[in-house]
Amino acid sequence: MSTSTLRRPFADLDERRLLLWLTFLPLVVFFTLVWAIPILYALGMSLFEDPTTAPTFVGLGNYAAILTSGDFGLFLWNSVLYAVSTTVFSLIIGLALALVVNQEIRGGSILRTMMIFPYLLPTLVVIFIWQFLFDPNIGVINQWLVDYGVVSEPIAFFSTVEWAMPAVAITSVWKFGSFAFFILLARLQAIDPNLYERARVEGASPWQSFRDITVPHLRGAILIILLVRGIWMFNKFDIIYLSTGGGPLDATTTLPIRVYELAFSEVNFGAATALAGIMFFLLAGVAVVYFKVFEPEKEVAH
Amino acid sequence: MLGLGEGEAGSIVPQHLQRRIKRVSVVVVALAVAIFVTIPVYVMVAVAVQDPTNVFAGGDVHLLIDSVTLRNFEVLFEETATVRYFTNSLIVTISSTILSTSLAVAAGYGLTRFDFTGKTVAARAVLFSYMFSPIVLAIPLYVIFYTLGLLDSYFALTLGLTAISAPFTIWLMWQYFQTVPIALEESAWVRGASRTRTVWDVVLPVARPGYISAAIFSFAVAWNDFTMSRVVMSSDEMYTITVGASLFLDRVTIGWGETMAVSLLICIPPFLIAVFLQNYLLQGFNVGGLE
Repeated sequence: MSTSTLRRPFADLDERRLLLWLTFLPLVVFFTLVWAIPILYALGMSLFEDPTTAPTFVGLGNYAAILTSGDFGLFLWNSVLYAVSTTVFSLIIGLALALVVNQEIRGGSILRTMMIFPYLLPTLVVIFIWQFLFDPNIGVINQWLVDYGVVSEPIAFFSTVEWAMPAVAITSVWKFGSFAFFILLARLQAIDPNLYERARVEGASPWQSFRDITVPHLRGAILIILLVRGIWMFNKFDIIYLSTGGGPLDATTTLPIRVYELAFSEVNFGAATALAGIMFFLLAGVAVVYFKVFEPEKEVAH
Repeated sequence: MLGLGEGEAGSIVPQHLQRRIKRVSVVVVALAVAIFVTIPVYVMVAVAVQDPTNVFAGGDVHLLIDSVTLRNFEVLFEETATVRYFTNSLIVTISSTILSTSLAVAAGYGLTRFDFTGKTVAARAVLFSYMFSPIVLAIPLYVIFYTLGLLDSYFALTLGLTAISAPFTIWLMWQYFQTVPIALEESAWVRGASRTRTVWDVVLPVARPGYISAAIFSFAVAWNDFTMSRVVMSSDEMYTITVGASLFLDRVTIGWGETMAVSLLICIPPFLIAVFLQNYLLQGFNVGGLE
């Protein structure tokens, strides 16, 4: 760092301003171009019928049509069911394994490394693998289920109304379960080991240590996982689109799937953007709670 | 600390038994998860590297690897545009990684070192967009790109992919720069270095772990992406590998062997990241999770 020989090309004040511009201008330009304009544009489009071809202003007509249509409730229910079930199961599995790996058992670090793999496999690959495993004719899972007499006939998991959602959820938990694991493991490793030692000396059972030391330390992380993971799963498109396409008979059609269908199968951008708008407002509602409870921006805005 | 320090047993189960239950459950959970995580990956490899006539001979699928062949990869390269798809993916992924990481380094530094009104709003906007659904963003981007005649271009997809990864990379760098003490820079200024020079010579080297994490994240997002590419790229020769390969299952000539072979190929970049950059990856998780 021998910088003493360097000359200042600008007076300090000007240079400060230059740096300010250099660092903020790209951010402002980029966010305006790819976030602000598209979102405002979409909200604008949602007020028109045929916004891309022959726009007719219909006000909130698209919103009204969606909210009163018979199947909106089903799509919303599917979204919530998918988001809640995948989040809760990811949390349970992630928590169990984080507690295990934190025990510093033999092979713990191998387990930790293994947990990265489902997360790193691209979604498409995950879908290929699970379609293969769940296949009614050649799938290993069906072969086991039949061989051990659990079922008499192979199940076409992804294309049966009752089984499609559980199959998609299992696939999703397989891929995203490690998210909760890594966050919780980081929290666990930040707990002062002396706390446990003191509790043990004073005669506390493992269960009491868990209840009185571990659980309080994890509470914040668990809330964050439930909220943030929940939002992400609510928004998930690719994993469902690639596995079931929303079928069979809309059994796995969530709101993001429906937005895509409206835009690209039914070429109804008014309705698609209105539904996107509804998702936007739902998300904004949850985000308000998130910001109120956690004040995450306080972490950076000293 | 409820109940601690009073020396109470608190439970009817004796302590040594509790510890034994704990040990056994630890092993059981570890094994169950290991199997749950590994078997699907193993199945992919087993199907990819063996001849389909071997795997699918008879009624049951044969998954013990006893013969290795490149046959599936050969079919893939001969009968599909896999190479082309891979090239497309690499181009947009690398462009988006560079764009997203440089944006994040600049913005992260600026947000940490300069004070201005509306900083909280900026923080919230970044976090809010981090939670946003890619498909909801993709719809208006599609219409805008269509109007501008930009559909089916590397440029449009690079922007779209960066839109998805930038909120997190910015957040990550913003947090990271706060761990870099301002005193480091001040001591360089005192010795006569200009501010811009200081950023280059002092700040960037110190921030290296931060922007490697950011780069890994944006690479992973772009490489894994299906949604944005599906919407922005509409002609066969512009498909990325995820979109191109997603159509394989509908083709008569492409079977499970080739499908798993392409899966294995798609996994190579993430696998290399995991092997060489695992610690940076985990750092990304610790800051606030990856999507």
